[in-house]
Amino acid sequence: MAEGGDADWELSKENIQPLRRGRAISALNQALSQQQDGPSSAINQQKQSFESELRIYEGDDPLDVWDRYIKWTEQTFPQGGKESNLAMLLERAVTRFTEEQKYHNDPRYVDLWIKFAENCPEPLDTYRYMQAKAIGVTQTSFYIAWSEEYEKQGNFRQADMIYQEGLKNCAEPQDKLLHFHKALQARVSRQVMTSMVMDDSDDEAKHAERVSLADLKHRGKKKAIAPVNRVGAAVKSNSQGLQSQGALASNNAANSRFVVFDENKIHSDEPAEPKVESWMAPPPARAKENEQKPEKWCDVKMPQRSRFGHTLTSLPPSKPTFQPFVEESDQPPTMTPCKINPAVNTVLSARKPCKEETPLKRLQEHHQQAEAGKVQEQSMYCKELLLSGATEFCFEELRAERYRQKIAQDSGTRGQMDQASAGTAN
Amino acid sequence: MSLFGTSAGFGTGGTGVFGSTTTDSHNPMKDVEVTSPPDDSISCLAFSPPTMPGNFLIGGSWANDVRCWEVQDNGQTVPKAQQMHTGPVLDVCWSDDGSKVFTASCDKTAKMWDLNSNQAMQIAQHDGPIKSIHWIKAPNYSCIMTGSWDKTLKFWDTRSPNPMMSLQMPERCYCADVVYPMAVVATAERGLIVYQLENQPSEFRRIDSPLKHQHRCVAIFKDKQNKPTGFALGSIEGRVAIHYINPPNPAKDNFTFKCHRSNGTNTATPQDIYAVNAISFHPVHGTLATVGSDGRFSFWDKDARTKLKTSEQLDQPITACCFNNNGNIFAYASSYDWSKVRVRLYSLLCAERDKNTLSEINKTTS
Repeated sequence: MAEGGDADWELSKENIQPLRRGRAISALNQALSQQQDGPSSAINQQKQSFESELRIYEGDDPLDVWDRYIKWTEQTFPQGGKESNLAMLLERAVTRFTEEQKYHNDPRYVDLWIKFAENCPEPLDTYRYMQAKAIGVTQTSFYIAWSEEYEKQGNFRQADMIYQEGLKNCAEPQDKLLHFHKALQARVSRQVMTSMVMDDSDDEAKHAERVSLADLKHRGKKKAIAPVNRVGAAVKSNSQGLQSQGALASNNAANSRFVVFDENKIHSDEPAEPKVESWMAPPPARAKENEQKPEKWCDVKMPQRSRFGHTLTSLPPSKPTFQPFVEESDQPPTMTPCKINPAVNTVLSARKPCKEETPLKRLQEHHQQAEAGKVQEQSMYCKELLLSGATEFCFEELRAERYRQKIAQDSGTRGQMDQASAGTAN
Repeated sequence: MSLFGTSAGFGTGGTGVFGSTTTDSHNPMKDVEVTSPPDDSISCLAFSPPTMPGNFLIGGSWANDVRCWEVQDNGQTVPKAQQMHTGPVLDVCWSDDGSKVFTASCDKTAKMWDLNSNQAMQIAQHDGPIKSIHWIKAPNYSCIMTGSWDKTLKFWDTRSPNPMMSLQMPERCYCADVVYPMAVVATAERGLIVYQLENQPSEFRRIDSPLKHQHRCVAIFKDKQNKPTGFALGSIEGRVAIHYINPPNPAKDNFTFKCHRSNGTNTATPQDIYAVNAISFHPVHGTLATVGSDGRFSFWDKDARTKLKTSEQLDQPITACCFNNNGNIFAYASSYDWSKVRVRLYSLLCAERDKNTLSEINKTTS
């Protein structure tokens, strides 16, 4: 269907981020061809006009400007990325209207939140935050996105419960919700069927093939068993549906030497409804690998090595009950040659626990600050107006925009007056 | 002998040549008020260069016009001429021989105004409003430098409709200054670029901004040998940075200072922070003047790192300022958005002035 000249996008398919809504092919072709030439002034001008519109809009529906700007950015910058400022725009848009009750269930606003969540490292936290703040709770798209996220992580049980939550809250449009719910259930049951079929075929053909991720069968007299510990996604891929998850987990537990932590098992013990917690503290949006906080070096005693390689600790926590063996020719422990003076050497000074900045955390802090209301310094200029879009504006740009609008309005009314007078003259 | 042809009529006639004797917040300094100020905020002021006898002041405004006044020795100002653009005027500058004035506007054009014939013609075109315009006089060329919000810096020979050179900038030009052979441009997103103008203009260095907030105004200063050696950069949050291009000890020589803030030492109430709208250097003594949205102007000595004087607070922000060519007159424009515009002249020679202040400003920097 694509003619020769229009198939440019075929060549760079991998660079184009898919949009839920789909892309307009003309905009895509234009954007791709322009990118080769470098940032064109037409794009810059359009961006500037959006930025100006953001700042001087005085109507009832500021969300409309943000919505159009973000949609234009998505279409014009198919790769996403830093140039488009898409992530920042989404974050700003979302933050700006969090307190506006009237937008909480506006489908456009909820869509923005969903796009923002998809950019976050942990979308589930974002969705839970939305629920706590009652954003999108009557919108089907919210439940669909949340449930799909659970499904992506393999948590079918929660995915199902989200749809039930949506039905309970009478999310609109309801038929769409029901349709997606049925589709989910169909997927789940299909998986149950296929895994059951797989199990049957396993029983029949014992020696046919080695089943992947199954226990290795031992040969010979030795009863050594290679433990197969499955956690997380691997367990569920072989699971026989929702009900027998627990059984399989327990099977694995019997095989292995120790109990494998299965987070889904824990979840199944929880009450059926997802708890709505009040979000006072920011959720840990990123999986923290190193939980240990950085400590001051000078408090930590390094085990010192004596000349003969014996490791001696300078401060044993308690006196040993036995007589430690000490060589006769043992020398007193040598001081570590390099004494780290924190005042001088700033390289190894105590690190402040760094705040992990994630978009959701920034949102939390923004609200905490707004509520606290403590200001040490007040900027006597319209900070929000200057900084509200993706890029900053200066006073003159703001004023030039207002001037331009006024001129446009005046010429509009003058045109109308001319038409009116022309009409009356005839 | 009048320099110009017939002076074009101004709009509404101004009232009062001298400041009123009663203390009022409009003119707390009792400075000379210029007659026939523009109808809208003033964006820029420029005094005539020393090559021309007398003092002529040019002011561009948001009412799309550029006005010229003659400032006489007795302090009286005489409106001389006016030109119009089709959009607000953002910057003005003089040619080095004082015969031409260049004006840059939001209508994306720059014009050259010949004062003898009182004719103006377009000499430059951009894709966006032109924010800064400067005249460059080099031994082997002379041209106009325009910086615009279309992220380009263009150099124009006034005789040709195409630019001599066009340099791409990372962001929109917010302010610029030229003292041959150096030019500095401060852009949006705290960008700072230094250009060298010898032979032909080229980018010299990109500098990490010494300020944390949006750049608002910049002015180059010279060393004792009269060579440009650094610049002062003002931000929208009451701070000015003094930055040398090649200092012997950057950590110690470069510094920033706070200005145009209220409640200086009182920590109980929050401090109000105002934008620094313009910076000007005294042509003889090298002291600098800053004007801010708090309605004050201040004089500073950057070498002694002290404040010399702060004016009383005016009732409106001060948006532009400049010194005349011998440093005897300091003009500042106070204007609020869309109303009540005034241009005033602060005489540094006036006998009634505070003698201490005068001596501080006049003392040669060691």
